[in-house]
Amino acid sequence: MKKRMLALTLAAATLTATALPAFAAEYDGSAPITDEEGATVSMLATNSWYSTVDMNKADVVIKVAENAGVTVEWNMIDPTTYTDTVSPMLAAGTDLADIIYLPDLDENQTYINSGMFEPLDEHWDLMPNFRAYLDEHPEIEASLTAQDGHVYYVPVVGLPDNYLPCLMYQTQWIEQLGIESPTTLDDFVEMLRAFKENDMNGNGDTTDEIPMSIMSDFLPQMFGWAFGMDLQSGFYADEEGVVHYGYYEAENYKNYLTFLNGLYEEGLLEMEFTSLTRDQITERFANNITGVTFDYSWQMSQLYSTQFVEYDPEVGGIVVGVEPLSGEYQGYYSGTNPVKGIFGVNKDAQDLDLAIKFIDYAMSEECQTMYAWGIEDLSYTVDEDGNFNYTEQALNDNNWLQQVGINPPNLPYHNDAAATDVLLPTWHVETDKKLAESSHSPWPFIYATEDESEEIQMYLTDIQTYVQEMHIKYITGAESLDTFDNYLSTLESMGIEDLLAIKQGQYDRYSGK
Amino acid sequence: MNDLVTQKGIVIMTKKGKNGHAVLSKDEKKRLRRKVWNRDKYLVYMMIPVIIYFLIFNYLPMGGLVMAFQKFKPGKGFVGIFTGEWVGLKWFRRFFKSAYAWRLIRNTFLLNFYSLIFGFPIPIIFAICITQIKNKFLQKGAQVITYLPYFISTVVVVGMMTNFLSPSSGIINQLIQKFGGEPINFMSEQDWFRPLYVISGSWQSFGFNSIIFVAAIMGISPDLYEAMTVDGANIRQTVWHLTLPMIRPTIVLLLIMSLGNMLNVGFEKVFLMYNEAVYETADVISTYVYRQGIASTNYSYAAAVGLFNSVVGFALVSIANRVSRKLNETAIW
Repeated sequence: MKKRMLALTLAAATLTATALPAFAAEYDGSAPITDEEGATVSMLATNSWYSTVDMNKADVVIKVAENAGVTVEWNMIDPTTYTDTVSPMLAAGTDLADIIYLPDLDENQTYINSGMFEPLDEHWDLMPNFRAYLDEHPEIEASLTAQDGHVYYVPVVGLPDNYLPCLMYQTQWIEQLGIESPTTLDDFVEMLRAFKENDMNGNGDTTDEIPMSIMSDFLPQMFGWAFGMDLQSGFYADEEGVVHYGYYEAENYKNYLTFLNGLYEEGLLEMEFTSLTRDQITERFANNITGVTFDYSWQMSQLYSTQFVEYDPEVGGIVVGVEPLSGEYQGYYSGTNPVKGIFGVNKDAQDLDLAIKFIDYAMSEECQTMYAWGIEDLSYTVDEDGNFNYTEQALNDNNWLQQVGINPPNLPYHNDAAATDVLLPTWHVETDKKLAESSHSPWPFIYATEDESEEIQMYLTDIQTYVQEMHIKYITGAESLDTFDNYLSTLESMGIEDLLAIKQGQYDRYSGK
Repeated sequence: MNDLVTQKGIVIMTKKGKNGHAVLSKDEKKRLRRKVWNRDKYLVYMMIPVIIYFLIFNYLPMGGLVMAFQKFKPGKGFVGIFTGEWVGLKWFRRFFKSAYAWRLIRNTFLLNFYSLIFGFPIPIIFAICITQIKNKFLQKGAQVITYLPYFISTVVVVGMMTNFLSPSSGIINQLIQKFGGEPINFMSEQDWFRPLYVISGSWQSFGFNSIIFVAAIMGISPDLYEAMTVDGANIRQTVWHLTLPMIRPTIVLLLIMSLGNMLNVGFEKVFLMYNEAVYETADVISTYVYRQGIASTNYSYAAAVGLFNSVVGFALVSIANRVSRKLNETAIW
């Protein structure tokens, strides 16, 4: 009897202990998150995209840890190899950091189903900042909620409509031709022909102009919409809510390929488009031998326009973004989902509560201000009306500002439109505001159930390989469009119909049917 | 025991037994063992790191092959490998049903086959040529120059190819245009992938691979050459009747070893060279495993495809070894 009483008491004690985690009362979302000496949290994340910037030394990153009162053991990996490095680490699942930036958005719930990450909604008492953020943004909470109803990840949030990849024209050439900047496919082709035939750069050689320089990855989103397809996401729903796969559209996709094949045959789309790099395009603008490109909006004022000696940011851009091309269908730019990346908390973290509190603090308003503006009095100042202003140095030296650590990819930052706008010249901001209106929302982010993810994994990789391969072959004419019916039936035999049925189910679930 | 006695360098007094074999007393055996150990111990020590290397990097990971028969979930660590849900041959069936199985096997095989056909004889011919050079300085110089490319990283080699072969700015295409030809988009044309892969691979490795043959040729006794000269043989006859037969064991050995790598194509080079336009001839098993395994996290499926690759490779080397023993009386095991 006595023994049983003891056991009961012990059980009760354990229950209370789990129900009321230590420090719960002390942490209210503001720093410091612990008063313990030498508290450490380990984190695995990407380093900066800028090769000249090391996030380990960034002021903002150091300040966040300092405020929180913890030592952060960073393991930062180059973003270009992040997936290849981290996927095997996650698969092995041992010796992982407390907080992990995932290599993808875990759409197939691979990691969620394997139970590696702590369900964060069971710790709302430790996450006042995150909870408040989700209350303000129910759509983000909806897309972060997994099939089992739990929230596992803290997001990096981007701007869905602003600073998207867009079409850019060399405005001097257009002025020279004396034409309106083209917004339809037909006018566009006319312009390319003019670029090709004339001596646009006035060096006396009519053959050195390359009308259009585009990295092949951008082709689908550049032309897909004008043919009524979202080739960027691949899957998209029409107005009736029926899901399509753009690369499996009998009519529209064939028209798209015919058009691009025409451009290629005529030499308007160059032979080398499959291997073209941003460096090569930059060089071409520097030599003034190309007139059209398609790239991230950011590059127009930060990279391409600056290649021209006569460029003056006050006056206006030379390589400038324009409205999307329309054909038979209305053109758009492909918007992005607001959730750009996710952080998970390792179930086996050394100090689970501390890790949860740290990631919660790292997404607080206080930290978001630092992510957007840097360090007060170093990279920004606040005037008496409470307006934020970058310092001289921050405005003039983008590389330095990156070194301070704005938009740190290793912490859950939110892109701030206001802070981005002041960094860019006025003409660029105005262009962006105009183009943001022609963005189209992408395929929504929807978690797959376990059955779905198995089916998706079975079909999707092979289908994508085939589709990418044939995309290029049809454009270059290595495969004749006469075989297009074969292409469709091959896709069918590869299981595209089953995949479409799954995606339809997901979409219906998402749109609440 | 008997074998040990006949080994070079060990001289030991033995009695002959009934059947003519040496009979050693216990004491003699002990002495013999110690002597052999004293003579060879450094060789054994030198082997230890190699053994450890193979244990850690080649034998230990074989345990993970279990994954190929399971539905692997990430994050379970080493234990997870042995506790996954058993699915039997599911992944193998899926691979053979997939649209790409045949193409992957064909590409992997052909890339290696052509590399072997064109790549294997070149170092032998080169080694024979270079050993004919009497000027030591010239000989060494030629050797060093030809084996240096071996040490250039694959990334750089592929980068050089992309630059030289570029249709707009590459030197090769500018030459073609000078002579009135049309530029060829080498890196994006599927018919060009295999030649480029084989030629660049040969260029990079023939100097290095010839080292072994040069050593083998140097090992042939000069007396034999003298005898050939006395008998009035010309260079062609000397090479055909003396040099080649003498280095035959080396050639066969290396040939068997390269057959073992027949389905083991260098991943990074294909990965760096290929693009969607040339998948038809360039996509090989290892790049497919990469796309399925690491890029799409289908670890079990990728493990099954990789295992299939290894099993076929092993079968090939076994067959080659058997054939060689029958025909040549030279074999690795």
